[in-house]
Amino acid sequence: MATPRTEAGPAAASPPALWDPVVRLTHWGIAAAVLLNAALDEGGSLLHVAVGWIVMALLLLRMVWGVLGPDEARFAAFPPNPLAALRHLRQLVSGRVRHYSSHNPAGALMAYAFWAALATVTVSGLVMTGGATPMQVAADKAAVASGDWSALIRDSEGESDRDDAFGEAAEEVHEVVANLLLILAALHVAGVALESRAMRRNLVAAMLTGPRQK
Amino acid sequence: MTSARDILQSGRRQMAALSIFLVIQTLGTVFFVGDVIADLREDPASAHFIFEAIVTAALVLGVIFGAFALRRTIELLRAQDQALAVARGALSDVIEAQFQAWALTPAERDVGLLALKGLDVAEIAELRGAAQGTVRAQLTRIYSKAGVSGRAQFAAYFVEDLLGEAIPSASPAANPAA
Repeated sequence: MATPRTEAGPAAASPPALWDPVVRLTHWGIAAAVLLNAALDEGGSLLHVAVGWIVMALLLLRMVWGVLGPDEARFAAFPPNPLAALRHLRQLVSGRVRHYSSHNPAGALMAYAFWAALATVTVSGLVMTGGATPMQVAADKAAVASGDWSALIRDSEGESDRDDAFGEAAEEVHEVVANLLLILAALHVAGVALESRAMRRNLVAAMLTGPRQK
Repeated sequence: MTSARDILQSGRRQMAALSIFLVIQTLGTVFFVGDVIADLREDPASAHFIFEAIVTAALVLGVIFGAFALRRTIELLRAQDQALAVARGALSDVIEAQFQAWALTPAERDVGLLALKGLDVAEIAELRGAAQGTVRAQLTRIYSKAGVSGRAQFAAYFVEDLLGEAIPSASPAANPAA
């Protein structure tokens, strides 16, 4: 088993030339879903809720994969370590970086920040919709469209002021953290570009289809 | 080598298909879990809820076992990849050592290696930028140093090492160990 924290050169410890399909599918699925929900569809719409649920599913799958997956995909291969991340960033500035068999410490922190933000956005979104599945949202919308407004009443039925304040807080959190996600994404793209240059290795290819075949 | 590569290729396709299936399965499971939780808040004693909860639990288990199976497939593929690389390395080590034992000159080693790869005299001559007569002479010297009658026996010398055991009968097809 490869140990993530060896001082060895690129031959002994280097990030995978190609991540496994689950890592890649969850990565690009979540990236596309975040961009879609942030920029293209309308908050509260059926599509927005459905895409939110897809993000939740992909996030959960990645969490399962972080325990059951191959070595380099497991949390154990890239524990969150802010000190190591700072050290790595210093090395990045000096241009001499160490190689890791999974995410480098800075990249690992970025991954955990992403996951925390995604979980927060998902949970606050669930609070805002009262945990309604996309199927229920669709049914409610269809009922309202056909003139039966009881679905709207059921939504607010029995809600106290405390619940109301809670809902508003969830909405606030949802918006702020969604924007934070976009900032993280920009930082992530910049980080990948910097690392690829410092390591002289195409990190994007490892997340797509791997290095060009000989 | 082509067949080994084909097996790896189909293994990779299987891995990709399993992964896509796992993602779709997870999507379905999460939606179902959401539905069950909604039912739980409405009427936890109904047969509908109990039945759906059991089905959903099976789905969750399916995702976990699917993830396990996929991990195993990935690890198996990596082991095969590595075994293939080791076998390639081992064969070239064997060839290298044998060439050394026969005291081939560097030029003869190059020519011998190309001959082992199945190139004919004209192709070897073109690759090395030498005359065909030179290559033919080099090959003759290689065969005589190796004590073999010609190209077929020269190649067989190394294949024999790989097979590891003598052929029991006249028909080599009867030996499935290859």
